[in-house]
Amino acid sequence: MKKLRQVFFALLAVAAIGVLVFLLRMTQSVDADLHRSRLERIQVVGNLDVLLNRQFTGSRVSSLADSVTDRSGTTGQLDTALNALDKDVGALRGLTPEIDKALDAFLDTIESKFELAFDSEARNTLLTQRLINSMDAVPTYADAVTTAATDAQREEVRNLTMQVKTEIVNFGVTPTPPAAAAGNIRALLEQLQAMAPPTPPPAPVAEGEPQFEPEDPPFTKAVKGLRDRSEEVIADKTELVAKLRDFLDRPTGAQLQALEQAYMAWHESQVAVANQYRTYLAAYAAALLLVLAFLGFRLARSFREIDRANADLSHANEHLEEQVTARTKDLSTALQDLRASQAQLVQSEKMASLGTMVAGVAHEINTPLGYARSNTEIVRNSLDDLRGLITAQDKALTLMTSQNASDEEVAGALGEAEGLRATLNPAETMEDLGNLLKDTDFGLVQIADLVSSLKDFSRVDRSRTDLFDINSGIDSALKIANNLLKTRIEVVRQFGELPQVECSPSQLNQVFLNLFTNAAQAIEGEGKIYIHTTAETDGVVVRILDTGCGMTEEVRARIFEPFFTTKAVGKGTGLGLSIVFRIIEEHGGRIDVRSTVGKGSEFVVRLPLKQKRHSGDTAGSAAPELAAA
Amino acid sequence: MDDVAPAKARVLFVDDEPRVLTTMRMLFRSRYEVFFAESGQAALDLLKTQPVDVIVSDQRMPGMTGIEMLRAARDLNPNAMRILLTGYSDLNAIIGSINEGEIFRFVNKPWMNDDLSTTVARAVAAAKASMAAAAAAAPASTENADSASVQPGADAAGVLVMDDDPRVPPQIQTILGPTFKVYGATSMNEAVEQLEKNQIGVVISDTRVQDHPVVSLIGTLKQHHPELVSVILTDRADAGSAIELINQGQIYRFITKPIHDSQCKIAVNSAVRQHQRLAASPVLQQRYEVEAPAVPPPVAAGGTGLLDRVKSLRSWVRRLGS
Repeated sequence: MKKLRQVFFALLAVAAIGVLVFLLRMTQSVDADLHRSRLERIQVVGNLDVLLNRQFTGSRVSSLADSVTDRSGTTGQLDTALNALDKDVGALRGLTPEIDKALDAFLDTIESKFELAFDSEARNTLLTQRLINSMDAVPTYADAVTTAATDAQREEVRNLTMQVKTEIVNFGVTPTPPAAAAGNIRALLEQLQAMAPPTPPPAPVAEGEPQFEPEDPPFTKAVKGLRDRSEEVIADKTELVAKLRDFLDRPTGAQLQALEQAYMAWHESQVAVANQYRTYLAAYAAALLLVLAFLGFRLARSFREIDRANADLSHANEHLEEQVTARTKDLSTALQDLRASQAQLVQSEKMASLGTMVAGVAHEINTPLGYARSNTEIVRNSLDDLRGLITAQDKALTLMTSQNASDEEVAGALGEAEGLRATLNPAETMEDLGNLLKDTDFGLVQIADLVSSLKDFSRVDRSRTDLFDINSGIDSALKIANNLLKTRIEVVRQFGELPQVECSPSQLNQVFLNLFTNAAQAIEGEGKIYIHTTAETDGVVVRILDTGCGMTEEVRARIFEPFFTTKAVGKGTGLGLSIVFRIIEEHGGRIDVRSTVGKGSEFVVRLPLKQKRHSGDTAGSAAPELAAA
Repeated sequence: MDDVAPAKARVLFVDDEPRVLTTMRMLFRSRYEVFFAESGQAALDLLKTQPVDVIVSDQRMPGMTGIEMLRAARDLNPNAMRILLTGYSDLNAIIGSINEGEIFRFVNKPWMNDDLSTTVARAVAAAKASMAAAAAAAPASTENADSASVQPGADAAGVLVMDDDPRVPPQIQTILGPTFKVYGATSMNEAVEQLEKNQIGVVISDTRVQDHPVVSLIGTLKQHHPELVSVILTDRADAGSAIELINQGQIYRFITKPIHDSQCKIAVNSAVRQHQRLAASPVLQQRYEVEAPAVPPPVAAGGTGLLDRVKSLRSWVRRLGS
């Protein structure tokens, strides 16, 4: 039951911790570091994209090779960054469909940008190269124009060509030249054209390069050259710019932003969920705290109780010593009392057996004493009568023999004597008296026997360790117990030839008397007691069998315990058989009991022939104790 | 000796010791027609064919104790007086002989021949008297009825309880119920006063009151007012005082404390009936004659004066009866 409770509480605790862990995990689902790294990754991609754009736009003829190298480096970095965004640990993919869509769009665009860059690489290089070449050629052609110009116009032409050169350079160098720039250049070229001399330019033309001006004057030719170059530059640049615009117009930035926004939206929702769980966690924590507080309160209470118990205990400990002393004193007093009362009980048991004995003996003695005394009284009275008769007869005889007695006197005396004789009937009286005296003798002998039995029984005049005939001991005990037995119990003796046994006769007599008394008490109404004695090689065996009520196994097992009694309170002390047991034990003998309820009991006493001699006399050592008890 | 008058009393002696019987024969054969039995069973067998006036029995005998025999004999031969002659008897035997055997006397062995003769003679006289009363019972019944009607219900006679403990009388009253009038006394003086004032038929007493044995008071009461019936109620019973009380006080019942309601009620009821019988037939009172103590016992706290008062108590029964 208790174990079940413990298991239940353990499960409860585990469940509570599990819920706590779950809630904690839910609140921790928004990983700030991951979030930051993700944002960084987006930023890195954005930066790299911008860088790529710049590199793409900022490529110069002069550093063409470098820029290609730079670009391929950036492309590599961008590739890595994209991977980080797309596939690596902590990537954005898979978070929500929106993010995936934005990511896919962005990836597609940037992919197309890569392809575009890769595709136009060669063309661009060519164009750029050509542009550079054309641009490099423009000054030469401009100088040629200036040279071809007339002196008067030279300054103006120089200015114009200068302007054209500047515009071309600006146009060529500016990554995305303003739309008007090409027009400006063309306008300048038109101005130059306009400055050309009329159809047949005069001599001044010949001044410049007179040898070949078959159809066109050298100025026009020079302007035309300049114009061609310029147109080349414009055409190349325009193509380049168109390509660049195409490249730049890919909406990577916007898409990245969209991705970021989608991601942020997801993040916000995550944060919202986390916040919700945080609320739950707070509530749960509060509840747990309440439970803990309750447990704590209970714990505190039990601690208080333990404290109190501890205090009591320490108090008790402090007083233990005196308590022990007091208890010890009490116990020793109780022990003394117990010893005293045991002694008293043993004494009262002795007195009780003595009482039984005295009752029996008194009756046994009083009966013969009664008739003996009565008889002597009768005899005395009869003797008086006889004396009277004798006196009368004497008188008659004296008178008869007397010389001077008258016949009347003699007759009177004779008549008187005869009358007395007739009433007394002396023959019968004498016989009666004889019988009475015989009875009296018999009674006196009985009394003497009994007294001698008593003397034998108590053996006060014999030494404690003596050679003793067990059979005669049994006889004297039977005589003592006779009053208990004779009215209703038949005693059957089967005595064997017994060697004399070394023992304490008075104690053994007590044993036998006790056993006979018990046997008699066990017999309700009429019954028999069988007494059987036999000699064995090293001792004697006395069997005492009664036809009494017997006893149960429980009773049989305890009958030798002191104070165990089946008799009513006040009828027996329960010491009789325990004393019997002790006496036999101290004689080195054994007593065994067999009993059947309703049939009877058998006590078997075994006694050794000789007493063991150790530390003085054994039987003697027991005797004073019992005698004192 | 054989040609004795037919009125010669018949006495039965019972003892398992034949020599005792021999002695009895020698002692009594000249005066009575004597019968002998060596066991209780033999005595009962004899009683079935031969009514006797007096039975003298030993207590301890094989087969059947004296009390058992006397109880059975009481049923067989109710008019016979019963005497127990024994060498030693424990208290239970004595109480049993009083309550069950309703014995006349208790004689200890060894006995004095003169005393035994006197006791037997008294028993014989009592037996004769009660026999005469029994014979007269039938014709005298109307007379008795008359006297009974004069006295309004003999159960009106009160019960006097003498005990040191003042709680005992109310307890007895509770046990007996309201039909009995119970008077209490915690001393002999009080008891005599109550006896003077009230109609008392039954005296219930402890063996000692205020540490004085009541045997002399009970004895004197019985001597002079034989119609009074005594019941002893005590917790300090001893054999000696019980024997004295039966021999000198003719106590009718002997019960021991603690009081058992039913036992007490039966005893008192029986005692009241006994009182009614005695009051109705004074001749019967001889059956319960007591022996005067050899030496008048010294009675303290009242002395002989008290006993004199007892002697001079108004005998209302006689007064009413006359």
